[in-house]
Amino acid sequence: MSPKHTTSELTLPFPGPTPVKLLAVDDDPHNLVALQAILEPLNQELMLAENGTDALRLCLDHDFAAILLDVRMPVMDGFETAEMIRSRRRSRRTPILFLTAYRSDEQLFRGYDLGAVDFLFKPIVPEVLQSKVRVFVELRRSEELLQRQTEDLKRTERRFRDVLEAAPDAMLITTEDGKIELANSRVDMLFQYSRETLIGQNIRMLIPEWECSMAERVRESLAQAEIRQMGVRRDGTSFPAGITRSPFQASDAVLITTAIRDITSQVDAEARIERTNVELERRVAERTAALSSSNEALRQFAWAASHDLQEPIRTVLAYTQWLSEAVNGHLGKRESGMLSVIEDHASRLNQLLGALRQYIHVSESGQQEWAPVDCNEVAAAAVSTLQTLIQETGASVEWSPLPIVPSIEILLHQLFQNLISNGIKYRSSERTPVIRISSTATKTGWTFSVMDNGIGIDAQYLEYIFGVFRRLHTVELSGTGIGLSICKAAVERLGGRIWVESTPGSGSVFNFALPRDPHRESRTK
Amino acid sequence: MIADLNGSRPARIFVAEDNNADVWLIEEALRRQSLAFQLDHHLTAAEAISAVKECGVGGSPIPDLLLLDYNLPGGQGLEILAAAAANPNLAGVPKAILSSFLRPNELQDAIRMGASCFIPKPANLADFLRDVGTKVVDLLGVNGASQRSAVGTLPR
Repeated sequence: MSPKHTTSELTLPFPGPTPVKLLAVDDDPHNLVALQAILEPLNQELMLAENGTDALRLCLDHDFAAILLDVRMPVMDGFETAEMIRSRRRSRRTPILFLTAYRSDEQLFRGYDLGAVDFLFKPIVPEVLQSKVRVFVELRRSEELLQRQTEDLKRTERRFRDVLEAAPDAMLITTEDGKIELANSRVDMLFQYSRETLIGQNIRMLIPEWECSMAERVRESLAQAEIRQMGVRRDGTSFPAGITRSPFQASDAVLITTAIRDITSQVDAEARIERTNVELERRVAERTAALSSSNEALRQFAWAASHDLQEPIRTVLAYTQWLSEAVNGHLGKRESGMLSVIEDHASRLNQLLGALRQYIHVSESGQQEWAPVDCNEVAAAAVSTLQTLIQETGASVEWSPLPIVPSIEILLHQLFQNLISNGIKYRSSERTPVIRISSTATKTGWTFSVMDNGIGIDAQYLEYIFGVFRRLHTVELSGTGIGLSICKAAVERLGGRIWVESTPGSGSVFNFALPRDPHRESRTK
Repeated sequence: MIADLNGSRPARIFVAEDNNADVWLIEEALRRQSLAFQLDHHLTAAEAISAVKECGVGGSPIPDLLLLDYNLPGGQGLEILAAAAANPNLAGVPKAILSSFLRPNELQDAIRMGASCFIPKPANLADFLRDVGTKVVDLLGVNGASQRSAVGTLPR
């Protein structure tokens, strides 16, 4: 018998659920036609076979939602066919409905033994057959849906694994206890284990300090930052690892994703930077020490020099005076004049050395007592020191109430005295000198102003005048050229700064700012 | 002229000073105070130190006043003071430090080492003669009995 099977396409023209396949097996073509007609309204794909052999062949190629099998057939009857269908893996679970004309218990038992799900007795009642087959169609539909969902799920998981695999870091997914459930290939590379041997092991085998306490999770500090722990390779060597952990709620448990990065080069770089910084700081400290010791040496030198120069000039001055006293009345006018030139210059040199010593003393780094100083008293004391000069010139020195500031009294005294005497010395020949001292509170301390009505200073010299031995005028004005340098050194020792504003011809204002917290300011110097 | 102390003998003044010009100025200052004095001048610190150690030893005379220049070469002014302080024969003798100027810590050091006072050397002749002269006379207690006790009783 030639294999003969026909396929009846019962698909609908509009898109809907894909038709499921059904198989009808009967040796009587009329019966097949009848079954075809009955099942047509179900709109499924019905395949037909006229004998068991054809049926088996179709079962090899197709998955049927149900097989309608005639019991009585020549060569291979329905039961034999069913047995063969059942023996094939693909069709082992395909539901079989037997079609029979005989109601016999023996047949029924045999049929159920062979896995029949139902019996239908001829003559077939179309509605009964339709409703039974419809159940199997629905069943197949559900199975297919389930299968699709399973495949979706598998695809999603595959994608998840791909993402995990593509991650730039070694990634491990563990339980809260650290049992490894998943690992990407970078884990193999980083730790030299094959991934399979890691699954089920504890992550602490790789990161001994790994921790994932509940407390951390509650604080939500877990995923916030990379922490540093040591990673241990299979050969026992270890490396610094940057570790980021983030918990996520899987369907049945909390899982922890741990990303691990080998940060050896980063740690090395940091160590290098640290070493460089330490070295740099050491060099700066060395340089600072060298500079301050050379500064100190310079100061010592200047002090010794000013002292050693002072002694001879003091002697020259005293002896010149002694000589001129001794020869008083015996010398001509010219010779007396020469002696007084010597005396004047010796006296001036003596003054200069005194001022230089004062400057060195003021800028010296020796310890001095910081205390609250009443500036009104300091101004009064400075005025009393300058009494002779003030009387000679008819100058008036006035001040509005001044503050009490944390300071070193002797420096402040020198500052006021030098600024007042400076203002009087450089007075205008047209006016009686008037010196006005005032102060204003600022955010960081106080600004003092010492204003005069003197000759003023040309703008180009406003910086120049604070240098040592800088004078703008002849000796006749009797300046040592150090007074303002002393002011600058004193203000800087007090943590402040000094500057001058001037209108040539009408006067100058010397300003100095003193900080409220001088210790912090002066320490930075 | 005030002839001498108690009319018995000139004041013995021990001077350690490396600058002869200053010694002459000191002498002039004392002369202008009409003081009878005998100057025992030592030019170097080493000389002064050994002289200070000998004071009162084996009947040698004890000075009425020590005038020590602070700024001797090598900073040895303090060593003379130390040697003087170590000699019990000089216990009651005023020891004055002479200098054109002293830094605050130098003055403290000197006082710690037993200096009685500091006599500055002003640059002007008139100031020098007046200041040094009156200070020495004060220290000797010639012009005021009250100073005598501070100086201590003079020998012989």
